[in-house]
Amino acid sequence: MNSLKNSFMRFKRSPAFTGFVLFMIAIIMNLIIRGPGNFFGASSLGTLFAKNAPIILVTLAQAVLLITGTLDISIGIQLALVNVVVIMLPQELGMSVPVAWIFGILAALAISAVGGFLVAVLRVPSILATFALTYVIKGINVLIMNVPQGSVPKEYYGAYDTVLFGFLPVAALIIVGVLLMWMFVKRTKFGKHIYAVGANPRNAFAAGINPTKTIMKAFLFKGLITGIAGISLTLMLAAGNPLQVEGYGLRSLAACIIGGLGFGGWGSMSCAVFGAGFLVLIQNAVYYFFNFLQDILTGFQITSYWQNFISDAIVLLGLLMTTVTAKAQKETLKQGLSRQLKRGEKFAKQ
Amino acid sequence: MVKVRKFMRQSPAAMTFIIAILLLIVTFVVRPNSFNKNTFGSIILLTMLLSFASAGQTLVLIGGGLDFTVGAVMSSAAVITTFLMQGQDGNLLLVLLIVLALGAIVGVINGAACIKIGLPPMIVTIAISNLIAQAQYLFAADGKSLGYAGPALIKSVSYKIGGFLPAIVLYAIVIWGIMFYLLNRSVYGKQLYLVGDNKDAAKLSGIKVNKIILLSYIFSGILSAFAGMLGAAYMTVVSAQVFDNYAFQSLIAVIVGGTALSGGVGTYSGSIAGALMMTVLSNGLTALALADPIKNISYGIIMILLLFAYNRSSAVRQ
Amino acid sequence: MIALSGISKNFGTVKALCNARLNVQEGEIMALLGSNGSGKSTLIKTLAGLVNPNAGKIEVDGKEVEIKSSVDSHHAGIATAFQDLSLVPTMTVIDNMVLGMEPMGRFGMVDRAKSVRMVNEILDRLGVVCDINAYVQTLPTSTQSMIEVAKAVLQKPKVLLLDEVTASLHHDEIQLLFKLVSELKEQGLTIVFVTHRMGEVFQLSDRITIMRSGETVIEEETSKLTMNDIVYYMTGKKPDTQQGKKSAVEKREKELVIDVQDMSLRKIKNISMQAYKGEIIGIAGLQGQGQPEFIRTVLGLLKPEGGSIVYKGKKINYSSPANGIKDGMGFISGDRNKESIFQHRSIQENIYAGKAAIQNIFKYVKTKEIKGFSQKAIDDYNIVVGDLKDPATSLSGGNQQKLVVSRWIALAPDLLLLDDPTKGVDVHSRFEIQEMLRKSAEKGMTVIISSSENEELMEIADRIYVFYEGKISGVLSKEDMTLERIVAAQMGMTSERSEV
Repeated sequence: MNSLKNSFMRFKRSPAFTGFVLFMIAIIMNLIIRGPGNFFGASSLGTLFAKNAPIILVTLAQAVLLITGTLDISIGIQLALVNVVVIMLPQELGMSVPVAWIFGILAALAISAVGGFLVAVLRVPSILATFALTYVIKGINVLIMNVPQGSVPKEYYGAYDTVLFGFLPVAALIIVGVLLMWMFVKRTKFGKHIYAVGANPRNAFAAGINPTKTIMKAFLFKGLITGIAGISLTLMLAAGNPLQVEGYGLRSLAACIIGGLGFGGWGSMSCAVFGAGFLVLIQNAVYYFFNFLQDILTGFQITSYWQNFISDAIVLLGLLMTTVTAKAQKETLKQGLSRQLKRGEKFAKQ
Repeated sequence: MVKVRKFMRQSPAAMTFIIAILLLIVTFVVRPNSFNKNTFGSIILLTMLLSFASAGQTLVLIGGGLDFTVGAVMSSAAVITTFLMQGQDGNLLLVLLIVLALGAIVGVINGAACIKIGLPPMIVTIAISNLIAQAQYLFAADGKSLGYAGPALIKSVSYKIGGFLPAIVLYAIVIWGIMFYLLNRSVYGKQLYLVGDNKDAAKLSGIKVNKIILLSYIFSGILSAFAGMLGAAYMTVVSAQVFDNYAFQSLIAVIVGGTALSGGVGTYSGSIAGALMMTVLSNGLTALALADPIKNISYGIIMILLLFAYNRSSAVRQ
Repeated sequence: MIALSGISKNFGTVKALCNARLNVQEGEIMALLGSNGSGKSTLIKTLAGLVNPNAGKIEVDGKEVEIKSSVDSHHAGIATAFQDLSLVPTMTVIDNMVLGMEPMGRFGMVDRAKSVRMVNEILDRLGVVCDINAYVQTLPTSTQSMIEVAKAVLQKPKVLLLDEVTASLHHDEIQLLFKLVSELKEQGLTIVFVTHRMGEVFQLSDRITIMRSGETVIEEETSKLTMNDIVYYMTGKKPDTQQGKKSAVEKREKELVIDVQDMSLRKIKNISMQAYKGEIIGIAGLQGQGQPEFIRTVLGLLKPEGGSIVYKGKKINYSSPANGIKDGMGFISGDRNKESIFQHRSIQENIYAGKAAIQNIFKYVKTKEIKGFSQKAIDDYNIVVGDLKDPATSLSGGNQQKLVVSRWIALAPDLLLLDDPTKGVDVHSRFEIQEMLRKSAEKGMTVIISSSENEELMEIADRIYVFYEGKISGVLSKEDMTLERIVAAQMGMTSERSEV
């Protein structure tokens, strides 16, 4: 009993705790609004995972960067890049779909390499560099696919939407797969180094780590996950759209922060999972709640504008709620970030 | 090259101004028919507008923060102005007060959130900016404007003095004057620079750090709102999110003008030069009549080049 | 073993190293000495790969090497324990200690069992007791310093560089460290250590190298040098053998400026202190006994959990330093880079900072006013500057601190609080700052100064309160102020308090 209590105390102090609490709140809200039967039903869980696998995966990718003390706000529009590549290659060049997928992942890796180059080598602050990159990617996307179009063969998107054995959605398996990848990476040298570089690049350097190489590798790893997320998005939509899900950039960032990740060296993948879960489930709850209202109150109309507004308000509230986080965690967070920016300004620009 | 870098470091404002002029000359060389009164007039007008939007941003950045709501506030102010005026000048003063009040309120929210939450201001203000952007749609249905700015207001912005100088420069005298006073002659400005340079030392020197930071966001909100109102006069017809890209534009203008992202250094004259450069760039890209995607790509690449030139962290090894 | 020659390094306009040299023979213990700004830390960082010299040659074991990164430094057989710690606070002890040299296991994953064995072994040898899975930031500073040294030793180097590692260590820990250093020397390691403590120099080192203003002034065997020699080489001046003014016990006005009763907060338990107008109160004690917390609570930065403070006749309850400062307090920190100096601002703006803080924010201020204010301060307090418009960082450490002191004295506060202000300041500037304080006290300013140098307190303080483990272990007035009494009280040994 005592060791259980110890484990719980340790969990309480870990970065993922607040994310976990918020996640549970979101689950409870869903249970209240939809009822356990509906919520845990195979088809509802299946849709939930299928629809939201992209944002969850992108949050996981973003988490890797946050641990190194960088971020990528263009990660959303990168999904669209993968999407248009994966649709247009078979459509225009007759390529087979699986090969197109490989090219999609390569596209994500390529653009991540560019981002990584700007941040790691040229040392442009990641927040600005990746924001500027959004414009570039948007242009590229439209050049590849000028208007939303395209389709995905039924075998593929059907497989994606399937729920195996009555309870295991394929989309969920994809997420689990990425998490397994992370669990392996975490135990390698690289896995330790990204924490060191994120928390204190100067000390990491003093220990013999190359921050530039580490950040570059982190960007590429993020690119890999983004590629997979882009394919999920394509299968989910069964179509192509060059200018979609740009908002996933900020959303994944918010999800990570809500889940308890800090800007550099603080937090784990569970933070990302809980944070993404919270966001997804809250939106789900709100959606069904409004539907419920519309059913019982005649003449009650919710436009999509209201839904968007509430969504964004929830993101903001979630961020505000991070003030609930333990003081020690916030200090690390603040110090990490201010060190980020001041690191360069302290010394004369060479 | 070394001399150029040294000059850039010592007087970024002058450097930026020179680059802006050079870019302007390049534009005229490539597209000779753009060399006319109208182009000059529009460049001056847009530079003024961007410089007003960048005024608040300058204050916030010097204090060590960042205000991404500049664009959203401008757009909202524009939408509200056109809606409330409905093409009449009657309630101009009232509209002005309402718009500025709303800007101040957003400023308070921004400041409080950044101070209390302790998250990077960019993230917080992007989230708030998104929210404001969405709110515009609630207000303006499918996003289209619901009225026009009053004719006197429009004239005060767009009337061409001497046939080509937009009247908006008269506003510039006021706003630039206020900025000069705030940054260079007021105790507030002194405290702001100290806060941005070293928050801990400022606090221990007796400065009320939170008050200074909050004020910078409030000023930014008010100035952006004012810029939005003038923007409505310029555009006459306004739709939701019309000025949203001013957030990023003002940020780049301020950074390129020599204000550091980490705070503590910078001048408003630099931001004005930065605004000129951004306007000339935009104008140049339009003059080249590029297709939209190419425009986006060029815009992004140029931004990255500018960021690379003006604002980098230093290496871990010295 | 190591030969550095002709090393020069500029940071912008600051000349950190100018043709510096260092020669260490194999198997010897070399003490590297110098005051602040002498370049000794920069020289160490050059060997560690953190600083890239503009000129000069580095030879290790007779061969010329290029050290461009810490990886190169490690390959050359050099390990460094840094003064400001190279540990990552948000990672665990074990992760930190094997960082950069993780033992590899199967499938490319780190071999955790081996890491645990390696770490436990060296920590035992150093007598460090801690949970290796604890986050470093949760451990006391002295433990962190020991872990820093352990980490360097774990690299199995040929040359060990120790940069001021004893600054935060307790007496017993220092002895354990010395024991380890001697053992390592017997095993053939070459050791270079940087310190400010003369005792360590004479106890441990075989030879001494002294640096001043970026140059190496002397390399000599320890046995051939005396304390006075060392001070002379470090400062370029003969040490002032004046005992320091023990000012006549004048009749001071018994006006009570500040009366602290039973103050308690985290590190502090029931501290009471009184200071009268024109008095200089010294606070002595080992590092981390609550002195900084006490001073910052009086200032209003920290909130006390218990007790009361009566200042100038009124009970005070400040919510921020701004309140205290408006009320006539001033504060000078020992960590000037973090807490006093505005690096991008000019000298005159730095001096004006205190005045800027207390005026109404919308008041109009002309540049002439700032210039006048700062010029007066510079003249009054003899601060060596080039141009008032130069950045504050162009001044030497000692002058920077004088700048900070003048920032406050120019405002004539009623109560000046100082938290170890002369830490790392060169001897000459130190004397000048003490003069400034003495003169102001004579004019009626009350001073509370905490210092890690007991001799300094004995020179200027009228009374000394000694802090030990968050309590006052002794109050000494001018008559019974001796070094022995202060040190005894520092260790908790007093006649009144026999319990710990």
